[in-house]
Amino acid sequence: MIDTLEILSRLTSACGVAGEERQAAQTAADLLKEYGSVEISPVSGSVFCRVGSFDKTKPTLLLDAHIDEIGLIVTYITDEGFLKVSQCGGVDSRVLQAQMVTVYGREKLTGIVASTPPHLEKDNTKAVSVEDIFIDVGMSKEQAQQLISPGDRVVIETGFNKLCGTRVTSKALDNRAGAAVVLKTLELIKDRQTAFNVCAMLSSQEETGERGAKTGAYAVNADMAIVIDVSFAKTHGETDEDCGTLGKGPMIGIAPSLSSRMSQRLIEIAKEKDIPYQVEVMSGTTGTNADAIGVSRGGVMTVTVSVPLKHMHTPAEIVDVADIENSAALIAEFLESAGDINA
Amino acid sequence: MLEELKTLCEINGISGEEGAVAEYICSQLEGNAEYKIDNLGNIIAFKKGRQASGKKVMVSAHMDEVGMIVTYINPDGTLKISPVGGIDPRVVFGRKVEVGKNRICGVVGGKAVHNLSADERKKSVPFDSMTVDIGTDSREESLKLVSLGDSVCFDSRFARFGDGLVASKAIDDRAGCGIMLRLIREELEYDTYFTFVVQEEIGLRGATCAAYTVNPDYALVLESTTAADVPTASEEKKVCVLKGGPVVSFMDRHTIYDKELYSLAFKTAEELKIPCQTKTMVAGGNDAGAIHITRQGVKTAAISLPCRYLHSPYCVIAEEDLENTYLLVKNFIDRIHKR
Repeated sequence: MIDTLEILSRLTSACGVAGEERQAAQTAADLLKEYGSVEISPVSGSVFCRVGSFDKTKPTLLLDAHIDEIGLIVTYITDEGFLKVSQCGGVDSRVLQAQMVTVYGREKLTGIVASTPPHLEKDNTKAVSVEDIFIDVGMSKEQAQQLISPGDRVVIETGFNKLCGTRVTSKALDNRAGAAVVLKTLELIKDRQTAFNVCAMLSSQEETGERGAKTGAYAVNADMAIVIDVSFAKTHGETDEDCGTLGKGPMIGIAPSLSSRMSQRLIEIAKEKDIPYQVEVMSGTTGTNADAIGVSRGGVMTVTVSVPLKHMHTPAEIVDVADIENSAALIAEFLESAGDINA
Repeated sequence: MLEELKTLCEINGISGEEGAVAEYICSQLEGNAEYKIDNLGNIIAFKKGRQASGKKVMVSAHMDEVGMIVTYINPDGTLKISPVGGIDPRVVFGRKVEVGKNRICGVVGGKAVHNLSADERKKSVPFDSMTVDIGTDSREESLKLVSLGDSVCFDSRFARFGDGLVASKAIDDRAGCGIMLRLIREELEYDTYFTFVVQEEIGLRGATCAAYTVNPDYALVLESTTAADVPTASEEKKVCVLKGGPVVSFMDRHTIYDKELYSLAFKTAEELKIPCQTKTMVAGGNDAGAIHITRQGVKTAAISLPCRYLHSPYCVIAEEDLENTYLLVKNFIDRIHKR
């Protein structure tokens, strides 16, 4: 088994903008092969991995993490050869100006987001919106049209870097961090008895409205689901009231839309096994795939486990690898002993 | 030439911290020119030509780049920064940066966009609300790696892209430094002074002293200047355009340039059959502002490389402009000597 850093580095460097997840899905599928039978849905683009042979007497548990990332989509090429774009998911437009981007056209192309030069800019206190920007690909309209078409995806690719301690930064840690938790969990339960039939799903199109999760949950037809995503870790000036904390362990979700029994069971296990954890209370739905999965078919008991993350939806996201490993440890323990959850 | 530009751009050197840039430049001057380093850190080089013209000509480019500086370390380990030189805060937020001489990796961030109010989302993040996160949780931890006053540089990749374009940080003005190094390695017709100066971005300070020391009859400043040839700018506000050739200014915010030298530059370009353009706005400024009013005054010209997205992590130039700027500069220096 390769280490968590290597998994994260491989997963984050793959492109997987919502609706165009192929590269990221294939990278994940290659890593999943070790743990079960892997299939990429030709319709949704989601990746499924069934672990071992299913035992009809056991309930089925769906382990979900979305594989897509936010990004941009080409809508138009101007007469000057610049690209106009729209967003796939909620891009933080405050980071766009003068960024280097990769355009996934007929080939991979480099572009720079044009910034208004200071001498023409009367007001630099305004954030630009995605609709305002132009991408400079250094070509005439005719040249650009040969290589780029409307619908092509555009990603800010900044590379994967280690920070101090066990922290790392990259684009797309939302939610490749979750995908890494899935992989680490499957590694931990390998050759061990579990209380469930386990099916992992790396779902498409979460960022554009949990669409891969909706069709995927229908296909898997699970009794229970654990949705692994990222959630807000506090940044400078924010308090414990507002957010979770980086490095303090998985954030176990409690919400009216989630299964309180599953939440409580996870908390119990964390205490019992001395795994650091945080509680994330949400007052309705969760803004994750849990919202779609929970109401799939006749209903699925669902809980969220979130990896704390800073700077969400920017190319400078940060996670702590220890949080990923602790999330996997917590979930693996849950899969081994469901306790009285089925009672 | 592109290879050396890449080397030069990848060195970190904000104003006041030009040491690493100077070190590389000196390594290239060795055996090719006489040089000394003055009290501010300027490199003053003298290149012997085949002959002396009797005129003292000084060619100058600045070594420093824009960036940020660490002003405070918060109790939660994050770093507060201030801009060094003119930077739009919108090209800083969300970027990867390198802190200090050990190039500690950090990212500039703040509150997640999801947690902002509707009003906050419409605003850019000002420098005083940004922090650099290096992955630490406390001031003590950060202090092991970072000190107050450390420089903060954009961690951006040097890349060739599109139809002959180049993107990098610090092209302003490592391109000028690169052109001078190429000239110094070649044989020159006339004795010429070359100054690699410090602290342009915070007020033309290095050039002030270098010009005093050299005490030239003529000066030529090599710079990178704003090309606003993007779809948002109207035709007259484009200032200059990529692939339009070197830019020769008649006036900017600091200098009214010598008219004869201005005409001579265009005449030289015409004879070389290379494109050449002027700035269509009185905007910006460069070391000429300090040099032309040195001592009793110096006849000064500026030749600039048109550059999009100046003072950002990704300045963009055209390879052909770089080559044409070099050609014009080389020939223009001889013309000045021959006047």
